[in-house]
Amino acid sequence: MNPILSFIIMLIGIYGIVTSENIIKSIICFSIIETALILLFLNLGNGNHGDIPIILEGVKNMVDPLPQALMITTIVIGASTTALALMISIKIFHYYGTLEWDELLEREG
Amino acid sequence: MELIPVLIIMIPIFASMIVYLTDTKYSNNVVFVAQGTLSILAVKYFIEFEGLKEKHLLNLGNWNEVVSIVLRNDKISMLFIFLTILIWWMILIYIWDTKKRDSKFIFLLIFLEGVFLGLLQTNDLFTMFVFIEITTILSSILILYKMDGESVRAGLYYLLFNSVGMMFYLLGMAFIYYSEGTLNIDILTAKINIYQGLNLTNLSYISIMAAVGVKSAFFPVYNWLPKAHSAAPSSISALLSGLLVKSGLYVFIRINSMYGLETFREFFIILGIFTAISGAIFAVSQKDLKQILAFSTISQIGIIMIGLNQLEGETLGGIMHIINHGIFKTLLFLSGGAVVSLYKKRDVTKIRGLLKNYPLLSIFMIVGILSITGMPLFNGYVSKSIIKYGVYSKTLEYLMYFIDILTLTYFIKLSQIFFGEKNINLKNHKLGIYKKIPLYLLSLACIIFGNFYIPIYSLFTEASIKYINLFNISEWLLFGLKAAVAYFLYRIIVKKDYNFIKFLRRTNISFSSTNFLFILFITIMIIWKL
Repeated sequence: MNPILSFIIMLIGIYGIVTSENIIKSIICFSIIETALILLFLNLGNGNHGDIPIILEGVKNMVDPLPQALMITTIVIGASTTALALMISIKIFHYYGTLEWDELLEREG
Repeated sequence: MELIPVLIIMIPIFASMIVYLTDTKYSNNVVFVAQGTLSILAVKYFIEFEGLKEKHLLNLGNWNEVVSIVLRNDKISMLFIFLTILIWWMILIYIWDTKKRDSKFIFLLIFLEGVFLGLLQTNDLFTMFVFIEITTILSSILILYKMDGESVRAGLYYLLFNSVGMMFYLLGMAFIYYSEGTLNIDILTAKINIYQGLNLTNLSYISIMAAVGVKSAFFPVYNWLPKAHSAAPSSISALLSGLLVKSGLYVFIRINSMYGLETFREFFIILGIFTAISGAIFAVSQKDLKQILAFSTISQIGIIMIGLNQLEGETLGGIMHIINHGIFKTLLFLSGGAVVSLYKKRDVTKIRGLLKNYPLLSIFMIVGILSITGMPLFNGYVSKSIIKYGVYSKTLEYLMYFIDILTLTYFIKLSQIFFGEKNINLKNHKLGIYKKIPLYLLSLACIIFGNFYIPIYSLFTEASIKYINLFNISEWLLFGLKAAVAYFLYRIIVKKDYNFIKFLRRTNISFSSTNFLFILFITIMIIWKL
């Protein structure tokens, strides 16, 4: 896969986070950026188009296993951040009855 | 005792787990045992390695250095570790009479300490990323702990904006891993070669610095900080201002020394000036006590930025100002929180008569104010003088004086709460002993760091600071002059509360505009590099 594709996905996410007015959409865009970066990182480790990084008979040309190890941690962090953000947005809806950033800003007083 | 760095991280985390899982009346006291052990271990570690004159590396699991997790300690990280332990002691004692049964709060607080200590000792970019993210998640839970409308909103804003910022850290890490093949900071320091023009290494520097800029509240992207501070419980605001904002600055120090880029030094000095002046102007316009202190944090971060980017990579002034700011801002936020809880209001134009009602609390607060405004004999003066000594142009020096005058102006505005008549309604409200102890110790620390700075600083640096003279009459006169100008400014402009001040007070931008500013910030950095 081409790294350019990851950059395009990332730009979509950035466009979304700069323009979206809704909290849920912001969280989705954050997830899109994160997914793009995970793809980019995995792609970097796969530069030689090798085999899976497991020591088996016949596996010689392994891909770099480090990015995969790092990205699984990033996925966990991203999942917890998203879960927490969604939980807080439920609370916000309970208090304010809205999920639009603008309407929240008006009530800031 | 080789494993002390690991213990420093794990002891608070285990203690927090014990508190959360057992959840009985007595088990909460485990945190004091943990804090005590932690303090002893840190001092022992410092002595055993002879003040850490050389860096100490601990390779976990003895893998190849290129891929393994390595903990690294040197003088700077040790200084931060001591500051962390000190401030956590103070906050723990401060919250103890109200939150002693609240195991969930103590769990989050102590867990955060372990994670923060990990962040200070890590030696590779990815572990740093993980620790920063856990810090963000935990501190956003602590910000929204009250669970009322305002704090929930501020918590979400903090969490989302900081996470978006950290995504750029990940991007920078991808670039650096692609071009250099490792994430170990020591190896990268030796390996990185900065070429002219725009390449992957420079792009990685720019995107990592953008993330650091969000984390430590630089000029266009500090919007989350005042929101978070005014919504959080006052002990947590103290923690945020005193330490958690500094996590970004610590990463800034580490990353900057890793790349050794000269091109961006001026950029960060200009950014520091903008941060300092805009933060101070917003602070002048505010009426809310905690908002004034929050914007003052931003302004002080600007001064620290000027101190961290001085000639020949000299960062002593900046580092010492981080430490001193940590101490006096914690003092100010804790005493400010005490004032708010006693008076049940936060408007500085409404609170009156603090000096007559609570003389002791007022003295603590005055010590904090004199420290932050840079009066000789208090700790803020020492680090500010080091920063002023290191600036290399006359214009910058005059700008520093201007920032000082603005700082004095908003603290004169804040200090109006001391005057006025005794309030009879407040007779029943008393300040508990648990709240007094940390305030007393922190004001003592302010004075000790302001007077006996030579033996303390010589533990952590070889640079000579003999040029600071506490009893130089011209310095005192200068301080008096600045205070007079500030008082004049307060009387003729701030007190009248003109329309433009009201306009500044109401200025507020939405989440998407903040993100737009963030993208703009990255773009400006790329243009600067071209």
